[in-house]
Amino acid sequence: MTAALGTPRVPVWRDVRVLKWVAQIIVVAIAVAIVVWLYGNYVENASRQNIPTDMGFLDNPASFQITGNSLSQNAPVRDALYQGFLNTLRVSVVAIVAATVLGTVIGIARLSTNWVVRQLATVYVEAVRNIPLALFLTAGFLVVVLGVFPQITDAWDLAGLAVVSNRGVAVPWFEGSGAGLLVLFGAGAVAWFAAAKWRGRVADRTGALPRSGLWGFGAFAVVVAVGWGIFGYSYTLPSLDGRGTIGGIRIDPSFFALFFALTIYTASHIAEIVRGSIQAVARGQAEAADAVALSGFQRMWYVILPQALRIGLPPIGNQYLNLIKNSSLGAAIGYYDMTLVAKTTVGNGSPAVPVFFLVMVVYIAISLIVSALVNVANRRFALVER
Amino acid sequence: MTNWLPGDCREANERFVGTDDAEWGIMNPITRRAAAALVTLTLVGAACTSDGGSTGDSTPAGTDAPGETTAPGATTAPGDTVEVVQADESKLDAVQSAGVFKCGTRDALPGFATLDDSGEHIGFDSDFCRVIAAAVLGDATAVDMVDLETDARFTALQSGEVDALVRNTTWTASRDGNEGATFLQPTFYDGQGMMVASDSGFASITDMDNVTICVAQGTTTEGNAAAEATRLGLAWEVRPFENVDLIQEAFIAGQCDGWSSDTSQLTGLRSVYPDGPDALVILPEVFSKEPLAPAVADGDTTWAQAVNWAIFATIQGEEFGITSENIDTFATTADPNIQKFLGQVVEGDAVLDPGLGLPTDFAYQVIKQVGNYAEIFDRNLAPLGLERGVNALWSDGGLMYSPPYR
Repeated sequence: MTAALGTPRVPVWRDVRVLKWVAQIIVVAIAVAIVVWLYGNYVENASRQNIPTDMGFLDNPASFQITGNSLSQNAPVRDALYQGFLNTLRVSVVAIVAATVLGTVIGIARLSTNWVVRQLATVYVEAVRNIPLALFLTAGFLVVVLGVFPQITDAWDLAGLAVVSNRGVAVPWFEGSGAGLLVLFGAGAVAWFAAAKWRGRVADRTGALPRSGLWGFGAFAVVVAVGWGIFGYSYTLPSLDGRGTIGGIRIDPSFFALFFALTIYTASHIAEIVRGSIQAVARGQAEAADAVALSGFQRMWYVILPQALRIGLPPIGNQYLNLIKNSSLGAAIGYYDMTLVAKTTVGNGSPAVPVFFLVMVVYIAISLIVSALVNVANRRFALVER
Repeated sequence: MTNWLPGDCREANERFVGTDDAEWGIMNPITRRAAAALVTLTLVGAACTSDGGSTGDSTPAGTDAPGETTAPGATTAPGDTVEVVQADESKLDAVQSAGVFKCGTRDALPGFATLDDSGEHIGFDSDFCRVIAAAVLGDATAVDMVDLETDARFTALQSGEVDALVRNTTWTASRDGNEGATFLQPTFYDGQGMMVASDSGFASITDMDNVTICVAQGTTTEGNAAAEATRLGLAWEVRPFENVDLIQEAFIAGQCDGWSSDTSQLTGLRSVYPDGPDALVILPEVFSKEPLAPAVADGDTTWAQAVNWAIFATIQGEEFGITSENIDTFATTADPNIQKFLGQVVEGDAVLDPGLGLPTDFAYQVIKQVGNYAEIFDRNLAPLGLERGVNALWSDGGLMYSPPYR
């Protein structure tokens, strides 16, 4: 046998480059086939039972009302689902902000040199994160809303500023369109950010104290006050009226219970992330801060926390996703989030599979968007190593 | 377990079944090769099964179910249960060959379906589950009660998790059309009402303006309440809860002024209220039609008819005056209508089989084992204080009417 010149050709079926591609294609083909098969099964079985598989139900009247919402019961299912989506966003956004603040405070307290503070924080974290959220929520509703809050007939009137009863907490609220207010507060936030940025540059140049928080808040207040004057918003105070309240805005008790449960529960997880992140910051950083005679607060605020939150950002982002998904548990106590609207419309004659498919797609979209935002922030804040 | 395989398939399968799982860990190469061969043979066996399944003549679980038409679906290998609904096979055959009827019900509605001290389902709906089992299988106890949450009930029916739904379900057009359910003869004609605290001062729903109404989630109740408030020009805030326990807590705490549901349910809930029934009062208005009907999955007329006639048997039984107590005295009846109804052999071996796929004596079994409509009502709903009302027989001015059995 004469030896072949050059490298022998590898046959196609043993060529690693080819095999890699073939394997990938097979996996994709199997995945696609499973999805197609499941979908085909569903469509076939549903049509055999005369269950609609299209989205035509979205135009039917919802025939139920969403608690605390002015949407008419004759509005289409589409609008009811949209209001449910907004309710999911409302409770999620507010709870995310509150849980982040509370979680950070508790996380720092976990490392406090004060024994009592440290132990209290530990008890909080261990107690809260080891209780299932659904239980926590139901118990919170039964104990706090139904147990502590008074009946409407003897509601607490807090100096005319709030009326608290187990039918909700009424607080002063603005009259007029919410969108205009949102723009106004958005402008205020931009002013805050710009002022803070400017003070930072001034501090860098002159070495003066930045006081960016103070300046920022001042800018915010000025913008909002001026806008308020120009657009002429007024507000109303809540007051008791028979078996309800008039004026202001009434925060639904189910919103209240869900907001507290989500905040307290998620904060316990965020606290552990914050604690871990602080401990992950090199010890030398704290020592360096001490060496330049920073106070305890300055050391934490300017040196440790910025580095710790950089480490903690991705896992905290995960907690945000969990919080958004957990908000669907509010259905149990009657908070009309997207899930409860979906369940109710299915109970009133909409086909289950398309409704829940739609809701799942929306949850996935929300999660992916939040995830993308966290990734952007993470890339922006990540330590650039050279 | 393998005796339903055709002969040449049986051997392979038995050899495979004989292989203990525990041996697989310590096999030498020869055993392993043999095992591989066995697996191959089993696959062949499985193939044989799907070809030869229809030739099998035994029913699993040893029931002597009537109508020995063994269903193809019942004897295929476990891996073949791909389709949720078998197009060419009626649920009737499947239930008869399985020997057990899976009834979608619940466990927390006084009078309709609750659990007694021994964990048995008792109640009006539970008894109608037994009626269907008695008619289809000849055994009222051959029923598997599956407790379903309100929002899961139609999915369970569509997916075949339950064979029929006897779960206090209102028959509406949207459910008929969109949920893939076929509704049958209503077992109870109900209507939505309002319950308030006795000391609330409300005497009529028109007094209730600017109030909060608590209801159960995922029902038609929410929509009815909203529609009624709109119709009367009243401001009602409708607050939905996941279950009646939470509604009761909210009601006791004064979060709700009214508790709205079907009047039959309200009667049941009132009877077990912690402060006693007198603490609550049900307002006189009934503001919706709620025909509570059993439902089966769409597209299976044979099964729907069988369930329907099981229900009718209780009504017809009451009309004839036949009860579980006196049914055997009708053995010598001369009334040809009753003879046909009870499936009695009249002359020679002449017996009416209307071709419903049910045993000819199904009505006898239903009434003997469970009772007629009046017995079921009196046993479960009368103790709650519910009157027959529109649920009386048509001959007494009610709505209960069975088509003739002939």
